Amino acid sequence: MGGVCGGIAKRFGVDPKRVRVVAIIAALFLGFGIALYMAYWILVIRQGEEKSILSRTGSDKREKEILFVGAIAIFSLMLALQILGVNKFGILTLFFTLSVLGALVIWRGVSASEREHLRRLTDAIARFGSSTGEGWSGVALRTVISIVFILIGVANLSRVSRRPGAASGVVVGATTLIVGMVVLFAPWWIGTIRGLSNERRARVRAQERADMAAHVHDSVLQTLSLIQRAADNPLEVARLVRMQERDLRVWLVDPESFGIASDPPTTLAASAFEIEHEVEDSYSIAVEVVIVGDCKLNSAVLALLGAGREATINAAKWSEAPSVSIYIEVERERITMFVRDLGRGFDQSEVPSDRQGISGSIMERMARHGGHATIRSMPGAGTEVELVLPLKTSS
Amino acid sequence: MSDGALPRVFLVDDHALIRSGIRTELGNQVELVGEADEVEAAIEMIIERTPDVVLLDVHMPDGGGRAVLEGVISHQSSVKFLALSVSDAAEDVIAIIRAGARGYVTKNIEGPELIEAIYRIAAGDAVFSSRLAGFVLDAFASQNGEAEVAPPPFDPELDQLTVREREVLRLIARGYAYKEIATELNISIKTVESHVSAVLRKLQLSNRHQLTKWATERRLL
Repeated sequence: MGGVCGGIAKRFGVDPKRVRVVAIIAALFLGFGIALYMAYWILVIRQGEEKSILSRTGSDKREKEILFVGAIAIFSLMLALQILGVNKFGILTLFFTLSVLGALVIWRGVSASEREHLRRLTDAIARFGSSTGEGWSGVALRTVISIVFILIGVANLSRVSRRPGAASGVVVGATTLIVGMVVLFAPWWIGTIRGLSNERRARVRAQERADMAAHVHDSVLQTLSLIQRAADNPLEVARLVRMQERDLRVWLVDPESFGIASDPPTTLAASAFEIEHEVEDSYSIAVEVVIVGDCKLNSAVLALLGAGREATINAAKWSEAPSVSIYIEVERERITMFVRDLGRGFDQSEVPSDRQGISGSIMERMARHGGHATIRSMPGAGTEVELVLPLKTSS
Repeated sequence: MSDGALPRVFLVDDHALIRSGIRTELGNQVELVGEADEVEAAIEMIIERTPDVVLLDVHMPDGGGRAVLEGVISHQSSVKFLALSVSDAAEDVIAIIRAGARGYVTKNIEGPELIEAIYRIAAGDAVFSSRLAGFVLDAFASQNGEAEVAPPPFDPELDQLTVREREVLRLIARGYAYKEIATELNISIKTVESHVSAVLRKLQLSNRHQLTKWATERRLL
């Protein structure tokens, strides 16, 4: 079943059929063979794989816990049966217990490809003789087996009434009866469950597809039609593309939060990305933000961001550069922010003094919070604004 | 690459549109020796044709650029890789660099910049985009911030950046070209290049746990 017999046969160069027959005989005697089979399956590494089931289980804490709980459950069941007087702790029980445990380990520990193989195998057994199966002979066999089980069960139960006081008969009888019923109805029962879960999965998938379609329609198709309309305006096209790109990125990374109005940003980094979006959307310029470290917002940090935003908008408006870079570094004692473009630059002495932007929005704003701003620009060589905000360290 | 000859470039990307776009941008400034659109074929052809530089898409089916990189490097360690990506996810960037790529640029890079990057990689130097420089500064930050107490560096030689390296990275993050950095710091372009290569080496070899921890924490940017 797990390819153990085949493996042994290959190893010793015997016919696999012969090994299988020996294994089945061993299994019938005291369950010893089954336990051995399981042990072999668990310990030996499957061809084409790197780890054995045991090492895979042993390296995972959760798997170990599951195994432990399973072992306790099985042993307590055995103990309960023992107390009821159904069975004595014989060698048979021991091997049976070990086999059940082994099955648990195998089921949890097998690799994906082997699991698929196992699933098909159990499926075939359960569906054996169902109406969609191999035809009437299968149905007949299944019915015969279940009737035998049911008869044994009924016989056991009826014997109980004649021999009062023997609880064991009840347990054995009832169990056998249930096994018989399960064998009889398994194909139909499994079919129903499978059908239900298939249906549910199909519904979820349809829902996902609808969401996806809605999103593609709302954002991508809308943007594409806008782009078509703006085809002769390259700056507008670039702006639309950037907007759509950002939108898709957010959607890919975090589809859950998509479309929900986000709260105002609470960190420096989030606010800086807001500036990026705002300026990119309002002006035809690409903004590249690089941030090292992050911190919470407060009035001083907000002032720094306000000055930085002003510098970015200035670059967007006047520099004629295709892009502007923002670099922010948060250190222990200070935050530094650089806004740089490679545009046409300007001569600071020639800026008319009534222009509010640089002096008011940048220089004075920084000074009010104990920081300072430096502007380096040369006609033709771009502009860089450096903003420094010292942080008060509590220690 | 011998002097005067064009660098021999191999292009790996699963999107035909992107490939043709890059081909147009490269023009006749490099010698394009081949293209591949999937991992297996890429590994085989790169080993066979031994290009100077492989332009490598980070995101591809069957293991992505990293699978190509690992498949080739184990056979042919002389081939150099420049990773190209639309994604700026820190995880991806750090992973591909640590797997052995000598540089990382985003796909919206301008043609001339891409060509410059290829020449730089072919000459054995490293290429950092401003985003990558920011990532590295962040990952190697001198943890004196927050309450978190940094563990002592395991290997001070590998786990810390020098003051000069930090300065160079900062300028890259601010959007400076190598030439501008050289002027700004009063050093030669060669020196700038050697600083960047040193940082690349640290990034690839350092076992600093912050690196991986940091990259997984900042999945999106």
